[in-house]
Amino acid sequence: MAVFMDLNVPFLPDRSDLRSVVETAAHLGFSTIALNYVFEPTAKKKQEIPTPTPINELIDQLPMVQGRSRPIRVLNRLTVLMSDASHFRPNAPEYRCFDLLAVQPTSEKLFHAACMVYDIDIICVPMTEKLPFFFKRAPINGAIDRGVVFEVSYSAAIRDSTMRRYTIANAVSLMESCKGKSVILSSAAQKALELRGPYDVTNLALLFGLSDGDAKEAVSSTCRAALLHAETRRTASGIIYTTRSQREAPQGSEDGETPAAKRAKPT
Amino acid sequence: MKEVEEKEEASVYQRVVLKNASPYHYLKVRLVLEDDSTRLSAVELKYFIITGLKSLYGEVGAALNFDVLKYDEDTLTAFLRVYSSLVKLWSSLTLLGSYQNQACAFRVLQVSRLNPLPKNM
Repeated sequence: MAVFMDLNVPFLPDRSDLRSVVETAAHLGFSTIALNYVFEPTAKKKQEIPTPTPINELIDQLPMVQGRSRPIRVLNRLTVLMSDASHFRPNAPEYRCFDLLAVQPTSEKLFHAACMVYDIDIICVPMTEKLPFFFKRAPINGAIDRGVVFEVSYSAAIRDSTMRRYTIANAVSLMESCKGKSVILSSAAQKALELRGPYDVTNLALLFGLSDGDAKEAVSSTCRAALLHAETRRTASGIIYTTRSQREAPQGSEDGETPAAKRAKPT
Repeated sequence: MKEVEEKEEASVYQRVVLKNASPYHYLKVRLVLEDDSTRLSAVELKYFIITGLKSLYGEVGAALNFDVLKYDEDTLTAFLRVYSSLVKLWSSLTLLGSYQNQACAFRVLQVSRLNPLPKNM
C-alpha cells in the first residue's frame, strides 16, 4: 500500500489540540506528518527563529497508523514567509534542527529566486489571497529539475467560501504551469476536524486538474521525494547521522532527485 | 476506474479490483461533528449534502442525482448512491466544513461500484 503523508500540520501551542490532530491523522491513515513552525520575519526587530520542541515532550505515545503496524512519524518543518530577499539566510545554523525547509514567497522576484537558487525543499503557494503574480514555466521547470516541490494546502477551502475560490484558482493555475508534477497537497489544519483522509485529498487533486495517477502521487510519492530531498540537503553539509545504521552519510548520490546544482557555498 | 477501496476500522486495508461493475457508485460516509450529541434526520442530511453541492458547483451541481439508501441516526453513518459523477459528490463532501456553525467533517469509509447492502434493503 502507498504511504500517505501530510507535510503541513501547523504547530499548535495547545498540547491537547495538537495531540488530537495527530491522533486523527494516524486514524485516517497518514504514516508521516510534519509539524509546521511558521516564521514571519519583520524588518523592524530581529526575531528568533523558533526552535522545535522535541516530539517526546509534546506527545508521549505516538498513535499507531490505521492499517500499518508502526506508529506515526512526526517531523519538524519550518516555513519562512518571505517578503524580502534578506529574510531567508542560507545555511543559518538554526535551520539544522528542522527536517524540512519551506518558503512562501510573496513577489515574483522572490518566487524566481526561491525556485532557482535557494536551498529549500518546499515552496508554499499562498491560498488565502489572490496571487499578485502569474506562474511562469521557466522558474517552475528549474525548480522541478532541482527537486523542489510546490505545496498546495486545502484547509482554507474548508473554512471559508471566499478562500475556496482563491484556493481553486491558485491551484489550477499552478497545475497548468507545472503540468502536474512535483506538487504536494497538504492540509493546514488547525483542528482535528479539518483533516481529510488521503483518498479524499486525492479526489480534491482531481478537482484541481491533475490526472488520476498524478493525484495519488501528490499525496504519496512526491511527499516522499520531498523528504528524501531534505535529507540529502542536510547531509551534504557534512553532518553524519548516527541514528541510521543501514546507510552512512551519502554525498547525495543515492536517489534521483538530488539537485545537480550542489555547488560550494561561499563561506 | 473500476476499483473497490475499503477502509475498515479493524485496521486492515483491502484492495479488490472488479470489472463489469454496475454504473452506480456507492459511498459509505460518516458525518463527524464537533458536538457529538447532535442528531440529523435523513432529510436534513440530504439537504445538507445538497447545500454543499450547491455552494461548490452551483445549481447544476445541486441537481446531481444521488440517493441516501440507508441512514443510521445514532452513528450518523449513511450509504449514498450516485449515478454518474462520483468526483463531484465526493469532492463536495470533502470540502463541507460547517453544519449550523459547528465544525464538521465527512469521513468517507468505503467506496464501491457494487451494492454493499444486503439484498432485502
